[in-house]
Amino acid sequence: MKIISCMKPVPDPASRLIINETKTWIKDQDLTFVASEADNYALEEALRLKEKHGGEVVVLSMGGEEAARVLRSGLAMGADRAIHLLDAKFKGADEFSAASALAKAIQKDGGADLVLAGVQSDDLGTGMTGTMMAEFLASAHATVVVGVEASGDGKSLKVRRELEGGINETVELGMPAVLTIQFGINQPRYASLKGIMAAKKKEFKVWSAADLGLPAEAVGKAGAMYEVKEIFIPEKKSKVEMLGGTAEEAAAALVEKLRKEAKVL
Amino acid sequence: MIFVVAEHKDARIKPITIELLVFAQRLSRDFGQPITAVVLGSGIGPLVDDLKTKKIDRVMVAEHQDLAEYNPDSYVAVLKSVLEGEKPFVVLIGHTTQGMDFAPRLAASMRHPLIAGCVEYEKQGDRLILSRQIFNAKMNMKTGLRGEPPYFATASPGAFPADEVESGGNAEVVKISAQPAASRRKLVERVEAPKGKADLSSAPIIVSGGRGLKQKENFNLIFDLADAIGGSVGASRPVVDAEWLPREYQVGSSGQTVSPKLYIAVGISGAIQHLVGMQTSRCIVAINKDAEAPIFKIAHYGIVDDLFKVVPALTKILKDLKP
Repeated sequence: MKIISCMKPVPDPASRLIINETKTWIKDQDLTFVASEADNYALEEALRLKEKHGGEVVVLSMGGEEAARVLRSGLAMGADRAIHLLDAKFKGADEFSAASALAKAIQKDGGADLVLAGVQSDDLGTGMTGTMMAEFLASAHATVVVGVEASGDGKSLKVRRELEGGINETVELGMPAVLTIQFGINQPRYASLKGIMAAKKKEFKVWSAADLGLPAEAVGKAGAMYEVKEIFIPEKKSKVEMLGGTAEEAAAALVEKLRKEAKVL
Repeated sequence: MIFVVAEHKDARIKPITIELLVFAQRLSRDFGQPITAVVLGSGIGPLVDDLKTKKIDRVMVAEHQDLAEYNPDSYVAVLKSVLEGEKPFVVLIGHTTQGMDFAPRLAASMRHPLIAGCVEYEKQGDRLILSRQIFNAKMNMKTGLRGEPPYFATASPGAFPADEVESGGNAEVVKISAQPAASRRKLVERVEAPKGKADLSSAPIIVSGGRGLKQKENFNLIFDLADAIGGSVGASRPVVDAEWLPREYQVGSSGQTVSPKLYIAVGISGAIQHLVGMQTSRCIVAINKDAEAPIFKIAHYGIVDDLFKVVPALTKILKDLKP
């Protein structure tokens, strides 16, 4: 089974995010980038499927040096090879133009039985890109996946989707398929030292928009379906009452408020 | 025309559909456009009767036995043929596990914009600017739509208050011939996760812990506080994902929805998925070291400090109060 696992570089969740001068994105020059958390769950699932059914796992990412770094972390976790979509023209992509470039790369690499992506990214967080890829690849798909089982002949899948209110549904779909993987489906492994060393010798392809046969107007910001008008920190509408002082003073004030004002104790 | 794709279950409209109607009714006032609700399914007569009493103009009904269970391929095929004929201005869909399962495919196949997880909008001139949350609700983004309508939007649950919905309509009901697609995906079964001993639905006081607790062992602080205050224990999604606690403790859109008289959120930043599961609690307390955490927007009392200092102090005071 050939599995392609998509990895999106996002600012380290511990970063302090500052809005840029044009208010169209964050200042990202000095930030550390890591793989979006849900993508690590996707890659772990890909590696487990390979361990069970054989085949290969390819990691795929789009972006600058931060994408290369994330791909190297994927190789260190155990992926067999990497594809890096690197081109200044890819910058400013929305989900639509990102998904179309990723899908083209998958086709150029000869397609895949299974494409995995995190359910949503830690930056835009829309959960659209994986499903749009399925449309561009004309594949079956399933979202919010919390369990994957491939049939013995490697032709079909049984996957469990997590719905609202603690309900799970099991669906059957044929391959090729695209799955978006939910947080918590597994415990992603850490890269071992041996894995990190081995990663350096693995195949690492770098493709531009031209390599994918995509014109400049179809990729990145030019190929996007919407533009970012403004990024802002939403105003606090609530009337939260902040309790200050030392931890002990704040705790004492809270108990007082809960008993006398809110009357819930 | 403003289109609303109705989401339903067991022949009843789901709450998100009412929220979508509120979104549509606001847009209708601002842009002077009529509203159509589209329902796909089988045996959906009762919910069509319910929908047409809302203040909307038309209900389009695609009834077919193959639509009895939701399927993305059929939804995309049926909606695409309807929308290509109708050329609406906006198409509103729930930002739910169902809505987000087909909306991206539908929008991509028609090559029109989709803004997912909308929380508000504004009218600039005659243009529609949709806003959504980014970076796990720390920031908002206003988007400008490119190209021609239709524009697709999924609405975040809880963003458009259902109690604002206007009724008193007498919408025209139009049957449409549905041609469901050959499906690449088949439903096998649907099961409800057991609630077990952590059924929080009737708990009067809940103390919930989040990622801010750093590791499993530290969750003892939450159990101690719950014990001292006479409450039950809940958790945010990352805690359950990290297997610090079983899934049955999870509060939020994919876990339990709770509404106690007192909800204490400790080390929980307040992702929208968590907030929709507890925002109707009577009194909400947030303890978090990050003053910008979204949880403070819905909290009544907040303490911005190190939870490892505040929680033990709180537990001690409450224990001392006990006779």
